[in-house]
Order: sequence, then structure tokens, then C-alpha cells
Amino acid sequence: MTADEGQSTRLAAPRRGGLRRAPFICLLATTILVGCGPTKQQRTAGEAVSYYFSGDYPEAQNKLRPLAKETNENFVLNNVRLGSAALADYDLTEAEDAFLRAYEVINSVGVNDGGRSLGAVLVDEKIKIWKGEPFERAMANFDLGLVYYIQHDYNNARAAFENALFKLHDYDDSTDKKKNQDVESNFNVATLMLARTWQKLGREDLAHANFDLVKQRDPSLAQLADYDRNAEANLLLVVEYGYGPQKVTDFDGAIVGFGPKPYEAGRIPNPRVVIDGHAMDLDSFDRPTIDLLAMAQDRKWQSIDTIRTVKSVVGTGLLAAGAIEGVRGVNEYGSSQRRDLTAAAALAGAGLLLKATSQADVRQWEMLPRTIFLLPLKVEPGTHDITVEFPMVRGVRQTWRDMVVPDKGEATYYFRMQRFNPGPFQWPPPAMAQNAPTTSPSPS
Amino acid sequence: MRVERSQKPGARSQKKNVVGSRPLFYWLLASGFWLLPMSCKSATQAGHNSALDSTDLVKMTDDMAMKLLASPNVQEAIARKGKLKVVVQPVENRMTAEVLPRGPAEAFTARLRGLLAQHAPDKFTWIMNRDAFYRLRSRELEGVDLGPSPDAVNPEYALTATFSSLTNEDAKRRSSYYLCVYELTSLKDRSLLWSDRYEVKKQAVKGFLD
Repeated sequence: MTADEGQSTRLAAPRRGGLRRAPFICLLATTILVGCGPTKQQRTAGEAVSYYFSGDYPEAQNKLRPLAKETNENFVLNNVRLGSAALADYDLTEAEDAFLRAYEVINSVGVNDGGRSLGAVLVDEKIKIWKGEPFERAMANFDLGLVYYIQHDYNNARAAFENALFKLHDYDDSTDKKKNQDVESNFNVATLMLARTWQKLGREDLAHANFDLVKQRDPSLAQLADYDRNAEANLLLVVEYGYGPQKVTDFDGAIVGFGPKPYEAGRIPNPRVVIDGHAMDLDSFDRPTIDLLAMAQDRKWQSIDTIRTVKSVVGTGLLAAGAIEGVRGVNEYGSSQRRDLTAAAALAGAGLLLKATSQADVRQWEMLPRTIFLLPLKVEPGTHDITVEFPMVRGVRQTWRDMVVPDKGEATYYFRMQRFNPGPFQWPPPAMAQNAPTTSPSPS
Repeated sequence: MRVERSQKPGARSQKKNVVGSRPLFYWLLASGFWLLPMSCKSATQAGHNSALDSTDLVKMTDDMAMKLLASPNVQEAIARKGKLKVVVQPVENRMTAEVLPRGPAEAFTARLRGLLAQHAPDKFTWIMNRDAFYRLRSRELEGVDLGPSPDAVNPEYALTATFSSLTNEDAKRRSSYYLCVYELTSLKDRSLLWSDRYEVKKQAVKGFLD
């Protein structure tokens, strides 16, 4: 072997090594890239969420409308986001359509079969079609039911509230009815609304049964679940307050949970309702019906959580082994050093790959409230100025002018309480005036 | 020892082949990762549920059209009165935990009306239901005071449908038993001229990531 040949061999070796390593690098980069940086769609959705929290619901809808049409892995998520924005804007047609699209996929099985399941396990969990946690699925159904209830479509409202309660059965693997009831017990808001729909549909027996169930589960809601109070009411205020749970991950992003915990967020304050300048007496029934922060603590553990956790642990192990092998290689010479450093690099690469692909899916429905107040009131028929406020919390207040209370039946109004978005707003809101020939939800 | 083995005749070329095939394998593997998301179906393409679907719509309405036309009571009424003036109502949803929006609720009776109109045009006069009529008029004659319809035709019979279900869902499956009842009722005396039903049981088993 000549000196030139030897030199050319030495020069060629790194190039061959580089070529051999290229697929590994590509593989690693692919995996890491999948989990890196928000896409344009994610940024747009983020902007829409910001508009929502600043009370600019039409702009939030404008941002979300094109995203909600794309049948990708965020289809359900973007539709429930759009539904939330449309509901707050009283664009009930759009809210119904959006929640229905989400409802269809949430109710389906096998939407992640094939490539998506494999991709979620091997590459990135975000490849799977988002269907939400059981409490998010329940809330999507509850909001759909609320949209129907506001429009006096009580049969569909009833069906959606029933489905909301079904979705919570996912928390429990058993078919034991008693256990399922335990799971449902912290979603009293759907049971209350279900009782009210049975009342509207003339099924007193079922209305009584559901009101009684609420009283039994939570005695503090006894006044709210009073049959006569609900039967006599001609105005129902549905008040959503606070911010729902946020997904949080552990230090390496593999294990996911929800925060804040209820005790971290503090006690839920009570609302005050002022109609035409007079404060209403809500003393006995202004209780929060649910606490989503508490519900989220019962997060459902799925098989993919186990897979992700195992991948993360094995990844950490491989990284540690790689480091040990690397240290050993550094202290050696010649071919042993090359062998050990190569092994160290391979172990570290595999470890990084596993760590990169074990990142938890933190997509969530950000618009959810912490709680929902149901306030059934009996007031003089006609138009009224209605204010809902939380005296204990600065800036959380909302006023609507000329809200219609009918002679017969009941009007239902939805208030999404946002900080520093007090109004006053004029009834009917522009979205409702455009969509409906009548100016208010007509009594049944 | 390693040096000796590598110096065996043919060993170099053999190793070269193995080394040569490895990058190809890893390139394919890497490409596979890229292709995985591309092989995924959209959110609305994949999956199925236990709800009534288009297959049920076709099967149910074909069956009902056949049975309604074959009904001796209906034939007798036609023989006695001539063409029956029938108004069609959307389906009444009494299903457990199953939403039925306006479109599908109308489709399940509208298809039956379509089949009857197609196969027995001389036996029925179809009258638009009042809500749909006023909705149509308000859309077509926007801004005009509609008043009562001057040429209203009063129907004699109502074709209605009521869907009920027993549904249950747990962490493993969702199952529904459906009972879909169709009725042709006299609006004059509330007597039932014809009634029949379609029954079906459906189940959706939850799997990984459901």
C-alpha cells in the first residue's frame, strides 16, 4: 500500500461513514422534526384561541372555520373550538354544525386504525386523530345539547345530554352500572339539563328521577334540582365561568396530566344576577354544577400512555448506557476506542430516538370553562337588561340589553364570562339576527 | 483474529455487499417514517359507529314503501276515496343518546315519499308540511308579509316516523338496538291506517386509541 493509497483510504473512510450515518440522521431528524415547532395551522388555531379569550368571537370563528374543514388529526379539536366560539357568539347554526361534526367522529370507533395507530406509537402521538379525554368528549356533547336546548329542540338536546353522560363511562373499564353511576356523579350539569328536557317533553317521571339523582349525588344542588323551580322558570341563564384544565407533562414530556388542581385554582366564586337594576335572589341555587379541574384529575390511562412511558424509560436507559460506553471509549485507544465510541453513538442515537418519539400529545380544548352555573329564573315577560357578575373577582361581568323573556315557554341565554369583556351587548347579537327570521329564541 | 478473518478470500467483497445493502435498508426505514402519516386516512374516512346510516335508510325506506303499498287497509282507502292527500313529517327522535339533526330526520321520511311518488303516482297526493312550506315561502318571498296561504290544501293523512333505541356504552363497546316505526294516520279521526317497523341492532367495538 502506498502512502497515497493509505491517505485516500483514510480520507474515504469518513465519507463512507457519513453516508452510512445519513439514514440514521434522516430518521432522527424526521422524528424530531415531527415533534418540533408549531405548524401554520397550529399557529392559526392558537391565534383563534387568543381571540376567543379576548372576547372577539367572530374573529376566532374566521380563523377556525377553514381549519375545521380539514379532516386531519385536528378535525375534532378544531370543530369543538369553532363550536365554542360560535356558541359564545350566538351563531347557533355554525355551533350546531361544528359540534355535530365533532360528535360524529367522537362517537365513531376505529378512526385511528392502520397508519395512524402505528404512527402514533412509533413516530409521534399527535398523528392520531384527537378525540379528547372523556371529560372533553362529555363537554362536546353537553355543548351540542345546549345548542339544541336554546333552540327548543328538546329531543335532540335530551339525546346529546344522555350521550354526554355515556362518554364518561370511558373512565371505567367495567360494565358495572353502579361504578358507571359513580363516574357520572361529577357531571351533574348534564343530568340537570337532561331532567329539564324531560320536563319540557312532558315526561314528569323521568324528570323527577333525574332531579332526584342530582339531589342524591350532591345535596348542595337540592334547590337547583327542585322540580317546581325548574317548571316555573321562564328564563334560564347558563353561565360558564373560569378556565378549564390544562395539559401538563413531566420533565421529559412523556407523562401527561392536568393542572391546576382544584385547590391550586381556589374556590369557585358565586355569581350575582342583576335584572333591570335589581339583584335577583340566588342564594339557594347559585352553586357550581361541576368542576372540570377536579374531573380532569381522573385522566383515563390508555395503552399508548404505557407504550410512551416504556419508550421514555428505555430511551433514558440507552442514553445512560451510551454515556458509560462513551466514557469507556474515551479512555481507550485504537480499534477498541473506535468500537466503543461507535457503540456509544449508536446507543445514544437510539436513546434520543426513543425519547423524541415518546413525547406526550398535549393537544386540548382550551376554551372549556372551569364550571357551569345553571340559573333558572322566573321574571316578567318582556325585554330586560341582564347582568351577570362575580363580585369576588374583578372584571368578570357581562351585561346584555333587551333580552327577551317570552310569555309562554322559556328563553335560554348563554353567558361565557371573560375577564374584561363586560359589554353591554345588544340583543339580538349580530350572528343570531343574520341567521334567524325571529329576533329571539322563540318559545316552544 | 479479526484481521485474519478479514483477509480471507472473498470476505472483503461479502462485507462490502452487506455494508452496501444496509444504507438502503435504513433509507427505506426512514422513508417509511415519512410515509406513515401519508398512509393515514382522514378523520371522516376511517371509523364506524353504531348510528343508523345510509344503508339503513335505503333498506328501511324500500321495505316500508313496499309494505305500505301492499297494505289492504291502504288499498281499500284508495279504492274508496281516490288519491290520498298525505303530509309527511320528519322523524321524531326518541333514541337514547343519539342525535338526529333536521336533515337526516327529513331524509328518512322524504325517501319513502319519493319512492311512493315514483312507484304509485296515481295513489297519493303529497302535501308539503306546514313548517317546511312557511320556511320555503319566507326564503323565496323574503320581506313580503306572507299571511295565510291562499291555496292551502288540507291533508287527510300524515306519514310519520318515530325512532327509538336502547343504547348502552362502556369502555369497550357501544351497542344500540333500534326500533323505527312508520305510521300513516288519519288527521280527521286519528285512526291508524297503516303501521310497520324496521328493527336493527348495531354494535361498535372500541379498540386501541378509541
